[in-house]
Amino acid sequence: MGADVHAAPPRQGDLGPAAAARLSSWLRDYRTLPGVPDELFDVTRRPRGDWLDLLAGFADYAEDESKSRFDAATRHIRDTGVSYRIYGEENERSWPLNPLPLILGQREWAQIAAGVEQRANLIEAILQDIYGEAKLVDSGALPAAAITGSIDFIRSMRGVKPPGGRHMPLYAVDLGRGPDGRWWVLDDRTQAPSGAGYALENRLVLSRAFPALYNAMNVQRLAPFFDGMRKGIAASADRSDPRVCLLTPGPFSETYFEQAHLARYLGFLLVQGADLVARDGKVYVRTIAGLKRADVIVRRVDADYLDPLELNGASQLGTPGILEAIRAGGVAMVNMPGSGVMESRALLGFLPKLCRLILGETLKLPNVATWWCGQPAEQERVERDFDHLVVGPAFNTPSFSTGDSNVGRLRPRLIADLPPATRDALRSSLRDRPGDYVGQEVVRLSTMPVLRDNRLEAAPFVLRVYAAWTPDGYRIMPGGFCRTSDQKDARAIFMGDSARTADVWVLDDKPVERTTLLASQDDVKVRRILGHLPSRAADNLFWLGRYIERAEATLRLARSLCTSLMVSDSAIHNSGETLAGLQQLLIDWGALDKEALGGGSLEAARGSLRDQQAYGSVIYLVRAARRTAASMRERLSADFWTLLLNLETELADTDRTPQSEAEALQQIESALQILAALSGLAQENMNRVAGWRFLDMGRRLERGINACRMARTFAHDDATTDDLDLLLDLIDSQISYRARYLVGLAMIPVRDMVVLDCFNTRSLAFQVETLKEHLQALPTLLDDGMIEEPQRLLLPLCTDIETSEAAYLTVEKIRLFEKTLMYLSGAIADRYFLQGATAVPTIKLASMG
Amino acid sequence: MIYTIGHKTTYTYEKPVGFARCVLRLTPATSNNQRLLGSTVTVSPQPTSLVMGRGAFGEATQTIVVDRPHEELVIEARSRVDVEARDVDPAGPSWENIRVAAFDSRQLEANGPASFLYPTRRTPTAAAITDYARSSFSARRPIVEAASELMTRMHADFSYDPEATNVSTPAGEAFAARRGVCQDFAHIMICGMRGLGLPAAYVSGYLRTNPPPGRPRLAGADATHAWVAVWCGDAGWVGFDPTNAVLALNDHIVLAVGRDYSDVAPIDGIILAPGDQTLKVEVDVVPELELVPEVVGRGASWLNARVALP
Repeated sequence: MGADVHAAPPRQGDLGPAAAARLSSWLRDYRTLPGVPDELFDVTRRPRGDWLDLLAGFADYAEDESKSRFDAATRHIRDTGVSYRIYGEENERSWPLNPLPLILGQREWAQIAAGVEQRANLIEAILQDIYGEAKLVDSGALPAAAITGSIDFIRSMRGVKPPGGRHMPLYAVDLGRGPDGRWWVLDDRTQAPSGAGYALENRLVLSRAFPALYNAMNVQRLAPFFDGMRKGIAASADRSDPRVCLLTPGPFSETYFEQAHLARYLGFLLVQGADLVARDGKVYVRTIAGLKRADVIVRRVDADYLDPLELNGASQLGTPGILEAIRAGGVAMVNMPGSGVMESRALLGFLPKLCRLILGETLKLPNVATWWCGQPAEQERVERDFDHLVVGPAFNTPSFSTGDSNVGRLRPRLIADLPPATRDALRSSLRDRPGDYVGQEVVRLSTMPVLRDNRLEAAPFVLRVYAAWTPDGYRIMPGGFCRTSDQKDARAIFMGDSARTADVWVLDDKPVERTTLLASQDDVKVRRILGHLPSRAADNLFWLGRYIERAEATLRLARSLCTSLMVSDSAIHNSGETLAGLQQLLIDWGALDKEALGGGSLEAARGSLRDQQAYGSVIYLVRAARRTAASMRERLSADFWTLLLNLETELADTDRTPQSEAEALQQIESALQILAALSGLAQENMNRVAGWRFLDMGRRLERGINACRMARTFAHDDATTDDLDLLLDLIDSQISYRARYLVGLAMIPVRDMVVLDCFNTRSLAFQVETLKEHLQALPTLLDDGMIEEPQRLLLPLCTDIETSEAAYLTVEKIRLFEKTLMYLSGAIADRYFLQGATAVPTIKLASMG
Repeated sequence: MIYTIGHKTTYTYEKPVGFARCVLRLTPATSNNQRLLGSTVTVSPQPTSLVMGRGAFGEATQTIVVDRPHEELVIEARSRVDVEARDVDPAGPSWENIRVAAFDSRQLEANGPASFLYPTRRTPTAAAITDYARSSFSARRPIVEAASELMTRMHADFSYDPEATNVSTPAGEAFAARRGVCQDFAHIMICGMRGLGLPAAYVSGYLRTNPPPGRPRLAGADATHAWVAVWCGDAGWVGFDPTNAVLALNDHIVLAVGRDYSDVAPIDGIILAPGDQTLKVEVDVVPELELVPEVVGRGASWLNARVALP
């Protein structure tokens, strides 16, 4: 942070002439929408002081500077993997961040926070009732059918006391400011609120881009909220120092990276359904050390998908038996399955009455006026005002309907926008099944200023605010996740198509205390290993290692191909046979298409580097490595990820397709350098815990297999000196060889160096020794003193290599070593991973009609 | 009428199965019309764990785990049930009043109408089926009368054809083909009723194997059966069997009630299976009066001992 962190923000009067001109042109050209309030102005239509300070702060940066600061910070955050975007994937989506945050003063914020807290307490109380005695239903305050229509009403959770004590420790609510200037509740998020991680990301970007302004504006910090959230979640376990898991639907989930980011930030273990197993009323994580208990599961999987045995039988995201474990009290789930029932629009209309009934208070944050048509009077009212209302589904249940008459079951529609035929169809559907529909008042949202092309524009927005249960009650995140719309229509129902996000700055009247997530000393138990490595993560790391190593080997082959082809006069490996061996190896590895050979040398080099269809090409392998890495981002450092992305970007960039052998060679060298940097990072920056061992085992195993393969190809019994020379190149041992043997190239010393020499870090012997170290350091499953299968395979191999002499080493023997390594890979998978060779699919038992 | 029921399910696997977790819903229900006199379930191989419980809709369940490799899983349920159905009043409230009362219900319990009003995966709202049902529901017609007519119409329009569908055939498909088995007919009738906002439930159970003298043998008698229960206000739930166009009275024994087949599948399970599986189900439902005395209680052989009637 700069020295000016405590400087006051520049006031309008302090601005230089250019900045002042910028500010006044922004304000002069600012056009608000008719009939709705704008955040910039107070009730008397005068600009608010806080906003002026903020705008003055932005105007103080020259246009280029503010843009470059913002871009740099954005890029940094995106690159370091907070972002949920997957580079190069089809599902890449862009939700750009506005440079301007939403500003909320302390007094205004206090009202919002009190309203959100009240609402969270109210919803928790209703959930306790629905899943408990159902007095609200008995007494007629809440019709049973307003509950049962939701797919998130999980009947089998009735009568179950939540193991952590509460149904809804995490809560979020979407707010909009209505025409009267009050904040309105648009939607409740009671199941698995998303977006808190984005809020964190947005804050990181802005505070990095504009640190002076951020500090001077006295913005309330987010860290204490997350600290409280973590404590509250941990407190729901029945033992201290619990294992908390964040259950994700996996990398294909739209918000996967947010989940990974949150898990890493909060120190939770990121797991998928297949990582968990329910046994004897408890839930366990499958790890490389066997089953380890999961105490608390923070879920981002919808309730319906949690347990294929009890709920949606087609779900691949859940864990069979997990609901039974919750009922037995063996695991706490945040939020409880069934809490999503409160997201139904059908319930909105009942909340004002229930608030008075349960809390004895009026709702501090009003709902959008909502009428559930399951009641005759409400149905009549909706039919009467039909053309002036929004009509939408009463429940957030996926539509199980077929046919055209169900328009409006899918999403809320403003009736006035519908053609007459659709209107009539909707009306008659509503008459058949009134309980499926709600009518809602049309809400117009207020706007806030956003900067676009150096102009200030008014954009409608929705603010999502988060609450987390802590040992001290609900705590509200001072800030939130703000979405702005690019459309000029301020009606709330269109916010689903929102296009941008903004950070939310809650200003404090007093100077804010600087806190980070550093825990106080007495909270922390010193530990060096963060629990046991989940089997799935071990699997991914192992394959990441293998992909990277194979990519490196392929690059070396391609390099040799280029050099042998381009420098014809210096006669390096240009004998026909050596070249043929090289090409054959590339073909065998799937890096090169047989057809491509005819296309000339450059084509061949290009193909093995960049052919996206060839399953052994460098781009294919790098992409496989990146995909594998993407599904365990929380375990890899930001630098590691960035390097991998850079490599992929370089290879995938069609503008950079090499036009000459020299250019191809240059690209190969640069790719090899990136891979070397990746290895360096893994060696120097990864903790020497099990995860690193699996990554390294993958590399060692692949390197060992490749060494055998290359030795068989280029050090066969009739090998020429060209062959041997190439082999030393491929295993990067030219220098060592030349230093050791002055006589020149000979078969036996080369074989020794490639296969048996345990001092050469590229030899088979070295890989095998390293693998032995790794296996011995990993946990064993049983304490019966018997060795496990991977070691049973590896130890004789080690001895064999150690006691072999190069003079008697045959190609057949090398082939045998290679085969043993292949078996070893299978044995490691069987022992440590979920998807070993003996793994079998989970299927439903057949049933009868 | 007291029935003795034998229900044996045999799974045979192509390759040994190392792990199975199953929920069994094989204990007949207890209700106003039906009294459970006794019930046993035996599983072979011996399960590692067996937990007795209640399912979401109040049905008795057994959750078993078998975690030793096995090539065959045999689940055998035997029970005695006393069925005493009440008369059904064909007059009663109109279907429109039932709709209002159901949406207004103060019962969140599993036997209330509110849980049976909404579409599910297997019983979606389908305009074609709703319109098919609609012609039986003229204005202010009593619910029992209207539902009976729908049931009778279905029986006339649809063919019983075990080859036409399987356990996962969507209701809409069976409806379009106008053929299927009890499960399809029950789902279709439920779709039609719920399409009109009426509470209808899926019932799994048994039919007596041999008909009373002078009456035809009912379809579906040698396997588990399925039919529809409709909430009729003060009259409670009334069973309609569209497969046979009869009310579910003294020939129908209720195992479990849910929103659709998924809620009540007699055996629901997950196995770790490397190969294929085959399934054999044998069901015998015999009124106690008809049992030849020496056959009673002779163990497994009893299961296949059908009693010839005059």
